[in-house]
Amino acid sequence: MLLEASELALGYAGEPLIQSVSFQVEPGDVLAVVGHNGSGKSTLAKTLLGVIPPLGGALNWPQKRPKTISYLGQRTEFDSRFPLRVRDLAAMGAWHGLGFLGHLKKGKTGGRDPVQEAMERTNIAHIADYPLHVLSAGQLQRALFARTMVQDAPLILLDEPFTAIDQTTEAQLLDLIDDWAAEDRAIILVLHDLSAVLQHCNKALLLGNGRALYGSPREVLTPANLVSHGYISASQATWMEGMYSDKSDEPTGQTKAKDLSNV
Amino acid sequence: MFEWLDYEFMKRALVATSILSFSVAPVGAFLVLRRLSLAGEAMAHAIVPGIVIAFVIAGLSVYSMIVGGLIAGVSVALLTSFVARKTIIREDASLASLYLVALALGIFILSASGSAVPLKSFLFGSILGIDDETLILIGVTATITLISFALILRPLIVSTIDPVFYESQTQKPGFIGQWFMFLVVLNLIGAFKALGTLMAVGLMILPATAARYWVSTITSYLLLTFLLALISSWAGLIISFYASEVPSGPAIVLVAGAIFIFSLLFGPQGLRLSIQSRKASLKTNQETLSKTVTNSPEIAD
Repeated sequence: MLLEASELALGYAGEPLIQSVSFQVEPGDVLAVVGHNGSGKSTLAKTLLGVIPPLGGALNWPQKRPKTISYLGQRTEFDSRFPLRVRDLAAMGAWHGLGFLGHLKKGKTGGRDPVQEAMERTNIAHIADYPLHVLSAGQLQRALFARTMVQDAPLILLDEPFTAIDQTTEAQLLDLIDDWAAEDRAIILVLHDLSAVLQHCNKALLLGNGRALYGSPREVLTPANLVSHGYISASQATWMEGMYSDKSDEPTGQTKAKDLSNV
Repeated sequence: MFEWLDYEFMKRALVATSILSFSVAPVGAFLVLRRLSLAGEAMAHAIVPGIVIAFVIAGLSVYSMIVGGLIAGVSVALLTSFVARKTIIREDASLASLYLVALALGIFILSASGSAVPLKSFLFGSILGIDDETLILIGVTATITLISFALILRPLIVSTIDPVFYESQTQKPGFIGQWFMFLVVLNLIGAFKALGTLMAVGLMILPATAARYWVSTITSYLLLTFLLALISSWAGLIISFYASEVPSGPAIVLVAGAIFIFSLLFGPQGLRLSIQSRKASLKTNQETLSKTVTNSPEIAD
């Protein structure tokens, strides 16, 4: 096991936002964190990163805390006017391991440049020399995913990575997350798109109204639970239950998923 | 044509401003990139009480002024970042509040002690009278600054471009910003004697803003900033040599200002780009509009 949280209390300045958060993360897990705005999703990410301490409970790393945890936060403070090219932004993923003056080693990827590799997998190799300020939101997010790849961390935290991103980019980046999981990395993913959760995540943590619920996505993200944790309203739940009960009649999972994303 | 090279004071001034350009260029570049251009200006005023107190106690000595200026500047910088991190006001507001208090305190002490400070050289420097002590001060400042930049350049870039990511990857998120502000203060003191409190900031900021219009990688940006600072210094000194009524500090800053305006007008990322991209975005808007109209039945589905 990589990480075990038991009975965590999360919040700032001694005021708990949420109590009794418990979950386990194994290598290869994709854990979705779902919750209304202000439910404690970003606070959880900051606590896992060690930026703020937990107010109670325990955060255990059964082996050892990884040297680096990859983090892709919301882009509110990102400065895309900084004079930097796409390839430099991707290479930034490695700086923590390089120290002050080290150089990027090519050993791990069989002699290949890890930055080039990451840019190819995120489909931005053709814009590697573009300055950041000309990128679209989707291209910038691909570059940030490339940075995350270059960081080569066993645990990856992604905080609402698909805000303002088009469907094609989202689908491709979700596939990339699947690949990371197949490489035995663990991913913790804050997400609002429930269809994506059901398709790509094997665990879910529902936060809301000061409480937490943990389990498989299909157990946790039921209409009743979503209502009791303040994520959707009762009327939305009635509509959603209709969707669930139609499940056997659905020709493909795709259609259901598409409809759910409107919730 | 090169008769200005025959004068000892010109040689000293050229050496001093060349080394200063090396030193203040990266500081100015990151002041601009970290959106702290005005903070640099404010810091120049914040070091005033330290220098005034040192002057009142020990007279016009370079060393006491360094110590006084450093104490005042670093205190204001640390307090600024502390107040910004711990309370709701942002760094700019916090700095504006503190530097005004510092400046008022400096003038208050100066007036109360009845000392007569040579105000003009205080504001505009006296680059034509640079002594050995000042040259050594500038050399030490440049050495500390360049070694520091070699060490902190990467974290400085990361913390500037993506502070949230930076915070997630380090144990001491405040350290880089504090070290950078220390370098700002150090360079202001280094440039203070030669260029005065007002002009020092000019040599920091103007080459950095001008260079931003020409390049889009950080390495070329830092190099060009240095180059423009150097050109400004030399051209300004030579102008002031021939037009002997013009003090060198303002002459240097005016040359830097001319380079800035030229870059603003003709640089690939200056006004030219802004006009081009406005035209382009108008065109795209029209295309999007026509596409939306054509696709609207699908959207309704």
